[in-house]
Amino acid sequence: MSTDAGDATPTGSGDTTGHGSGAGGLGGDTDGALRADTTFERATISLGTSLLAVVGALGLGAIILAGSGQNPLTAYGAIIVGSFGDWFAIGETLARAAPLAVVGIGAAIALRAGVITIGAQGQLIAGSLGALCAGFVLRDVPSGVALPLAAVAGALFGMVWVLIPALLRAHLNVNEILSTLLFNEFAFLLMAYLLNGPLKEPKAITPKSEPLPDSVVLGDLVASTRLHAGVLAVVVIVALFGLWTRSTMGYRYDLFGENPRLAHSLGIPGRRIILNSLLISGALAGLAGWLQAAGLLQRLFVDIAEEIGFFGLVVAMLGGARPLGILAAALLVGTLQAGGLHMQATEGIPASLSDVIQALILLGFAVRYAPQIAAIARRAVRSVSETLGAVAAWGGTGGGRKRPEAS
Amino acid sequence: MSGSSPAIAGEGSAGDGATLAFEGVGVSRAFGATQALDRVDFDLRPGEIHALVGENGAGKSTLAKIVAGTLRADSGTLRLFGEPYSPRRRSDGSAAGVAHVRQQLSLVRGLTVAQNIELGRPRRSGSAAWRPWPRVFNSREARAEVERLAAELDLSVPADRIVDDLPLAVRQQAEILISLAWGARLLILDEPSSALGPLETEALISLCLRLRDEGKPIIYISHRLPELAELADRLTVLRQGRVVTSGTDVAAADLRRIAELMVGDISLLEVRRPDLELGEVRLEADGLRLAAEHGPGLRDVSLTVRAGEIVGVVGVAGNGQEELAGVLTGQLRPDAGTVRIDGIEVTNSPAAAIGAGVALLPEDRTAGLAAEFTLAENLIARRVADAPFARLGVRLRAAVRRHARALAERFDVRPPEPALRAGSLSGGNQQKLMAAREMERNPAVLVAAGPTKGLDPHAGRAIRDRCFETARRGGAVVIISADLDEVAELAQRVVVLSGGRVTDRFGVEEMTSARLGAVMAGLAWDPGSEAGLSPAGSGAPGATP
Repeated sequence: MSTDAGDATPTGSGDTTGHGSGAGGLGGDTDGALRADTTFERATISLGTSLLAVVGALGLGAIILAGSGQNPLTAYGAIIVGSFGDWFAIGETLARAAPLAVVGIGAAIALRAGVITIGAQGQLIAGSLGALCAGFVLRDVPSGVALPLAAVAGALFGMVWVLIPALLRAHLNVNEILSTLLFNEFAFLLMAYLLNGPLKEPKAITPKSEPLPDSVVLGDLVASTRLHAGVLAVVVIVALFGLWTRSTMGYRYDLFGENPRLAHSLGIPGRRIILNSLLISGALAGLAGWLQAAGLLQRLFVDIAEEIGFFGLVVAMLGGARPLGILAAALLVGTLQAGGLHMQATEGIPASLSDVIQALILLGFAVRYAPQIAAIARRAVRSVSETLGAVAAWGGTGGGRKRPEAS
Repeated sequence: MSGSSPAIAGEGSAGDGATLAFEGVGVSRAFGATQALDRVDFDLRPGEIHALVGENGAGKSTLAKIVAGTLRADSGTLRLFGEPYSPRRRSDGSAAGVAHVRQQLSLVRGLTVAQNIELGRPRRSGSAAWRPWPRVFNSREARAEVERLAAELDLSVPADRIVDDLPLAVRQQAEILISLAWGARLLILDEPSSALGPLETEALISLCLRLRDEGKPIIYISHRLPELAELADRLTVLRQGRVVTSGTDVAAADLRRIAELMVGDISLLEVRRPDLELGEVRLEADGLRLAAEHGPGLRDVSLTVRAGEIVGVVGVAGNGQEELAGVLTGQLRPDAGTVRIDGIEVTNSPAAAIGAGVALLPEDRTAGLAAEFTLAENLIARRVADAPFARLGVRLRAAVRRHARALAERFDVRPPEPALRAGSLSGGNQQKLMAAREMERNPAVLVAAGPTKGLDPHAGRAIRDRCFETARRGGAVVIISADLDEVAELAQRVVVLSGGRVTDRFGVEEMTSARLGAVMAGLAWDPGSEAGLSPAGSGAPGATP
C-alpha cells in the first residue's frame, strides 16, 4: 500500500502450488468465491493436485496394462462404456458414488476439525442394521413415513457405533484411529453373527437377511437400472455440507482443526467439537449404510460395506474436503468401480486392474503430499503409543484427563 | 564393552599448562539477518569452569552449539586441546570429546540408563572394530560401567531404571555420567540449574567442582550469578552476540557490575509515553498458584492493574511468565487463586474472559493465528457470529471481507488483502494481524507477551502505539517480557517474576540496569549495602500496592 511494499514476504510452505492450475478440470470447483475465502489445505489436497494424480495414475495404469499384454485404450474404453455407456451404466456409477460421497462428507467434517476417523466401515454396517430394524418395526406403516424414519434409524445406529470411540477420544484422548478401526472389526463380526444366526433368511444357503419390507425400500429412479431414490438424498447432503462450510459453526470446527490452541483461547470447546464431529461422521456413515440396505441391495449381506468406508476417506482427501470436490472424487471412484467390473465382463481384463489405478491415484497424491502424510502418520503413531502406554498405566493412575504433549 | 571406556581421571591434557582446552577466535554466526555471534573470542583452560552469562538471545547457546559441533560458525577458528578443530556435526564433537548437556536432555525415553549408554556411543576411529552382530542392550558391562562411574562421582544413578521414571536432577546426572562414559574431555552445561531446586543445585555445583578437580574443564552457561560465584573460575559476558567482558576472574569480580553488564543500558530517554490517566481497577489476580511440569509454575502471584495502566512483568524466560499469561486470560486453570475482570470472575474460562473483554497477544505467534486461514477469516475469529458478519448462522462473506480490508488497513497489515493466507505474511505483519483481531474493539484487559519481539523497528513501534492506545482508552495492559527495553518503553509499573514468585515491584522510574540485573539474576536488591549478594530464593516480595 505504501512505502514498504516488500514487507509482506510470502513465507508460504509452497502448499499452494498447482492450486489454480487444474481446478476446474474435475468439473467440481466452480465455486471460486468459496475458494478465495477458504484456503483449506491441511490434511487434504487441492483439486489441481488431485487432477494431476488422476492423470498420472491413468498414464501409469496404461503402461501397466500394456505391459500385461492388454490394449490400454480398449481397457479404458470398456471402463467408460461400463460407467457412462447407457442408462444402466450411469445408474450403476451414481449408485456406487452415492454412499462414497456421503461417507466422504462425514470424514471431511472430521478431517477439517483435525480428527481422523477410519470407522466409517463399521458405522456403515451399523447403519444398515438400523435400516433393517426400522423395516421390521415399520412393516405396515405407509412408506412416506417409514422411509425417512428408516434413514434416521440408519444415522442413529451409525452415531451409536462411534459414540464410544468419540467419548474416549474427547475425554481420555484415546486415539480415534485405533478405536474406530477396532470398532470396524466388532461391527463386521456382529454382522456375520447376526446373518448366520438370528437374522438369517431361513432357506438361504449363504448368509443374508430377509429382504427389507417394501415400506422402507427406496424405489428406482429410472426403470431397469439400480439407480434408487436415495441418490436424491445425496444431493441434499452435499448442499447441506456446502452450507456447513459457510456456517459459523463450521467455522469454529475448522478453526479448531487448524489451530486448537487458538480455538481454546477464543473459548471454543474442543472436547465438544471432537465429540460432535465424530458423531456427525458416524451419522453420515450410517446413512450410507441405509443407502446400501434400503436402496442398492434391499437386504443385508455380510460384506454390505464393501470398502466404502475406507474409500470414503480417500474421497474426502481427494476432494480437498470441499463439497464439490468430494462429489467429483466420489463420481471418479464410482466410475472406476462400475467400469472396472464391466471391463472384466466384456474384455476379460481383471477388474483388479481398475483397483490398481485407484491405488495409483492414491499413490500420486501420497507422493505429492509426503511430508504432510508423514506428519499425520507421526501424530498417529505417537497417539497410538500414548494410548497403549495409557492403557498399560491405567490400573495405577486411574487415567489422567490431560492430553499428553509430546516433548 | 570393549576396554576402551575411558577412566575419569588422567585424560586432561596434563603437563603443559599453556595448552588451552578450547580456544575460539573471531567466531561469528548469523541466522538470516540476525547476527547471533559477532567475532567472539572465547577460551577454556584445562581444569577450570568458565561461565558464560548473558540475557536470553545474547548468543550463549549458539556459541555452545558451535563448540559442540551442532552448529557451524560462519567464520572464526576453533582449536580443541591445541589441535585444529572443525566439527561438521554433533557426532564429530562428541567423538572429539566435547559433551553438550542441554536444557532439554537428550536421553532416549523408554530406555534404562545403561541402555542409553549403549545407544549412541560415538564410534571412535581406530578403537571400535566393526562387528557383524547387533549390539546387545542391557549388557552386563554397560551396567557395570554405570555403577563404576556413579561410584567414582559419588552419584546415585541407577543403571537399570527407565529414565522416564527418574527425577529431572537424576536424569541430568545420568546424562553427564553417560557423556563421561562416551569419553568426554570437555563438558558444556547449558542452563543446567534452570529447573532444579536449591538442594539439587547444590548437588550439581559439587558435581561440577569434582569434575573440574578431576581434569574435566566445563563451560557453564547460566544467568544465575550467586551460583556462578560458588563454582566458576572465570566468567565471560555476552550481549547481543558480542563479548562484553572476557574471562573475568570470578573471585575478584563485582557481581553487581556483571549483572549490570548483562542487562546493558536501558534506554529510558527515548520513551515518548503518552500521559495516561489511571482509573478503576480492571484486572485483579489474587493468590495465583500453579504447579507446572517444567519450571517453577506460579507460587502465590497477585497482580492488580487499573484502567489506563500498563504493567510490565519482567524476568528471565521460564520463571512463570507463560503460566501467568495463560491464567490471566482464563486459559489455564490455576491450582489456587482467582482472576477477576471488572469484578467478574473469569478464572479458568476462556469464554468468560473473552466475554469480559480480554485480549491476548501470545508470545508464540503460532498459537495466535490460523496460518492456513485467510486474513479475513483470522480477523473475524472473535466475532464470527456477530450481527453484520453472519445471519442465521451463515457467514456473510462480503461483509467479512469488507471489514477485514478496513481493519487490516487500520492496523497497517501489509498487504491488506482479505483473501491472502495469514501464514504468507511476514512475522511483523502476522503480529499486526493478531493485534488487529485482538485490539479491534477496545479490550478491557490486554495481556501481551513479548509483543514486539523479533519485529523490525517500524512494526515494533506500530504495536507499541497500539498498546498505548488500548491503555488510553481505559484498558488495563499487562506486558510480559524478557526484553527490558520493551518493558521500559511501555510500562509505568514493573513487576519482577523469578522462580514463579513476584520478587520485586517498582515504578518504571526506579528501573535501573543494576537493580533489574540483580533481581532477575536472583540476587536480593538492597541498594544500601554493597555486599548484599544473598540469593533471593526466599525472596521477600516488595510492598504490594
